[in-house]
Amino acid sequence: MRRLVLSDDSEFGRKYRYAFVFVVVVFLILVGRLVQLQVVYGAEYRELSRSNFLQQISLEAPRGLILDRRGSVLAKNRVAYNVFITPRFFDAKAFRKLQDLIQVPQIDLDYIQSKILLAEGRKRGFSLLALRDVPKEWVLILESNRDHLPGLDISTQEKRQYPNGPLASHALGFVGEVAAEDIARHPMEGYRERDWIGKYGLEAKLEASLRGRRGSLWRVRDARGRVKTGPEALRWLPRPFHVPPQPGYNIVTTLDADVQRATELVMAPFESGSAVLMEVDTGKIVSYVSKPAYDPNELSGRLTSVRASELYNHPLHPMLDKVVQGTYFPGSTYKVVSAIAAIEENLAEFEEYHLCKGWYEYGRSSSFRCTHAHGLMNLESSIVSSCNVYFYMLSERVGMDRMARYARLLGFGTPPGLELNHEKSGFIPTKQWYAQKYQEGFRIGHTLNSGIGQGDVKASILQVAQAYAAIANRGSVMQPQIVERITDYRGVTVQEFAPVLKRRLDFKPETWDLLSRGLDGVVNNPEGTAYRSRLAHLRVAGKTGTAQVRAMRREPGQDPEESRWRNQDHAWFVGYSPVERPQVVVVVLVEHGGFASKMSVAPALAILDEYFKINGAREEATP
Amino acid sequence: MFEPEGRFYLRIDWTLLMLIVSITGLGLLNLYSTSTSFSAPLFTQQIYWIFLGFSAFFITATIDYRFYDRVANVLYILGIISLVAVLVLGRMFFGSRRWLNIGPLVIQPSELMKIIIILTMAHYVHVSPPKTDEGRSLQELVIPAFLVGLPALLILIQPDLGTMMILLLVFFSIMFLLKMRIRSLLTLAGSALVLLPLIWTFVLQEYQKSRILVFLDPASDPTGEGWHIRQSMFAIGSGQLWGKGFMAGTQSQYQFLPAQWSDFPFAVWAEEWGLLGSVLLCSLYFVLIIWALRMAVTTRDRFASVICLGVGALYFWHTIINIGMVMGLLPIVGVTLPLFSHGGSSMLTFMIAAGLLMSVSARRHTL
Repeated sequence: MRRLVLSDDSEFGRKYRYAFVFVVVVFLILVGRLVQLQVVYGAEYRELSRSNFLQQISLEAPRGLILDRRGSVLAKNRVAYNVFITPRFFDAKAFRKLQDLIQVPQIDLDYIQSKILLAEGRKRGFSLLALRDVPKEWVLILESNRDHLPGLDISTQEKRQYPNGPLASHALGFVGEVAAEDIARHPMEGYRERDWIGKYGLEAKLEASLRGRRGSLWRVRDARGRVKTGPEALRWLPRPFHVPPQPGYNIVTTLDADVQRATELVMAPFESGSAVLMEVDTGKIVSYVSKPAYDPNELSGRLTSVRASELYNHPLHPMLDKVVQGTYFPGSTYKVVSAIAAIEENLAEFEEYHLCKGWYEYGRSSSFRCTHAHGLMNLESSIVSSCNVYFYMLSERVGMDRMARYARLLGFGTPPGLELNHEKSGFIPTKQWYAQKYQEGFRIGHTLNSGIGQGDVKASILQVAQAYAAIANRGSVMQPQIVERITDYRGVTVQEFAPVLKRRLDFKPETWDLLSRGLDGVVNNPEGTAYRSRLAHLRVAGKTGTAQVRAMRREPGQDPEESRWRNQDHAWFVGYSPVERPQVVVVVLVEHGGFASKMSVAPALAILDEYFKINGAREEATP
Repeated sequence: MFEPEGRFYLRIDWTLLMLIVSITGLGLLNLYSTSTSFSAPLFTQQIYWIFLGFSAFFITATIDYRFYDRVANVLYILGIISLVAVLVLGRMFFGSRRWLNIGPLVIQPSELMKIIIILTMAHYVHVSPPKTDEGRSLQELVIPAFLVGLPALLILIQPDLGTMMILLLVFFSIMFLLKMRIRSLLTLAGSALVLLPLIWTFVLQEYQKSRILVFLDPASDPTGEGWHIRQSMFAIGSGQLWGKGFMAGTQSQYQFLPAQWSDFPFAVWAEEWGLLGSVLLCSLYFVLIIWALRMAVTTRDRFASVICLGVGALYFWHTIINIGMVMGLLPIVGVTLPLFSHGGSSMLTFMIAAGLLMSVSARRHTL
């Protein structure tokens, strides 16, 4: 080996070693860093580099449909187009181009611009939802100008659609975007921003079934957002890279869309009120109306705060489900309770007559009045003519607590069991309750008022329907039912709901016979309170009622006409048909309707009439 | 006509040649991996430049290095003229004037200046040996400092901070390794310490300052400047021990790496070939630099010695700044990886530099 010859000329000679050591040290630092990056943190960086190009796309699961009992669609989904913008690629030129192409509302333009400004310096791939639910024509225009609109993406989203508008809106409910508190409330259910969630009605009650499970798709995307396919890209995908979404279950309701439509048509003249039609043997609800209604399509979109407050603060309460959430004095419809109690407890004879002079004498007070002097009344005729005096007498005899017990047996004072829209249980007072509530304690006057469904008795129309269904079917208190079954998206039944018998009432046959005769007389006896509205071709039994409205003083500036209307009583009618073998019970409550016979009987009978007509026509159509 | 005055064995330094060929070859392979999926003719361009580069290498190597000693002054003056010309006539690209059109040729005088400054220093050291045995005093550094300061200033005006920095680093490397008085060395180091904050305040542009700040804390700006550093570190780290394989680097193939052909080719390489490939490439540079250093000690005269030193320093600083930058050890500066990066000027500069080494190496053995 040649010796290293250090020339004297080279000044550098002495420092060769330092330089050598320096170079070695620097390269060792480089190699050390390489080891640190590639070996020590290698796995971590491998993951980070994967997260760069791997993108998980969440696949939305279509929400289940809501159908009526015959398969007609009440709630479905449609495709909505949302426009997303990635601010990093969306320059001023593209922004101008966007405005040239489509008529974007100024408010949206301002929103986009403010968001783009906010997004400056944020994450690179960040994209923002710029326009929601744009018309299809816009989509076509934007798609064909794609090259001039860098950073603009159109994605589809399922949106809830209620093809019949406000039809049965309180039963169906509506959906909304999940709010932060929804996500917090159900942390395990995997809700994400912009997911739909049932907010009201069946949509809320059956959220878990309707929702379905989201799927996912992994894909490879390069730094400019271009999707890569091909074997070298697929190599990086996790397995399985595609999990298809599971569509939500369909809900088959007990509603009948045709009858529902007819019912709503009948109820159309009334501003405010409710109606429910129910099968007496099963408790299945055929139509379900609360007025005024809202349009679930409007509520399932983006509601402006002005419109929302308009709806929620409306004097007629469109957002209140008056079938289960509205509670009223049941009025004369409640008289059956004391009648049943009196017969069952052997406190009254059928042929016992009592004279109605127009008022009931009790103590010094003469405030217990009747509509007019009915003359001599027995049990049956007092139901037919709705004589208050007779029922003051009867309820005094039965007593407060016994009356309460029979009311509860019929389903009053407890939730009816539909489990929809936070159903109210109404209220049945007892002696004890009065003793606690009032300083002067319980008085007989309380009993008298309860006997005619006033005072402190409160019931929803569904409870009245439930009680009269039990009367019509002679003793079976059925739980009201609105969900027939749950099926998967192909229509295969997943869960079936059989009618639920809440309670069997073993009353004497005479009790049922008397009620049947009396209620039949209400409509078909010339003395009956509903006689004038009876239909020639359809025999209906039922009971009218008036729920007194506590007099309200006229607000300053209120229209005197409106004030008069507001002080009118609510009108009730509950009826069932056919009388011999009852099939359905209907309850109509017209708010501020005034005297029952005028306002609620006719619509109730019309609803029954429509029901039988529609079903009759169907039977004829199918041999 | 350029035959040396003495008589030598003219022998080819095969080690040096193999090092040059290996690094260039690996660079070409690396470029092939990432360029095929792009429409730009990067690969053919590079082959063309490599061809030009090797021509320059052989021409430079063939000429006796003592010829460069004679023409050093002329080259220096030409270099300064072209630097002035570029400021007056040069075309503006990306906010700086660096390129000069001469007929069909586009040249970057600041790149050539790297070579010229080495020759100038070598010439100066050669003609003025230290006056005392103690070594060179501070006064003796005034002239070389001026010789470097002038082109450095002209390059700074362009502005091209990276090249200016390399120029100064090469200069300091040569100066530190010369025979100097201890006192002069200390003064030099002291003045550097004083200069740094001044440079920070008056010389650096806002974007350059932010680069340095981001380098110190890449997470502070994960989408802007820090994004480049982080993506580059993702690439290198994710290569792990064996690499992701040829043409299979996701960071490079999917373009998450910034300037992956000129400034970040090492990240591409490290991602696809892993620690093994990275250490191999580093070793090639290491051997090349040590080879140059060793040659500086074994040559016959001061001129050749300083050439080897200067070329070694040029390779050294370019390599460690580039690799250090892509690994997040140094702030991002546009400094290429010698012979490995895509680009004509850089290729030509390093080929000529290597040609100088070869010229010295082939003539260092006396008959």
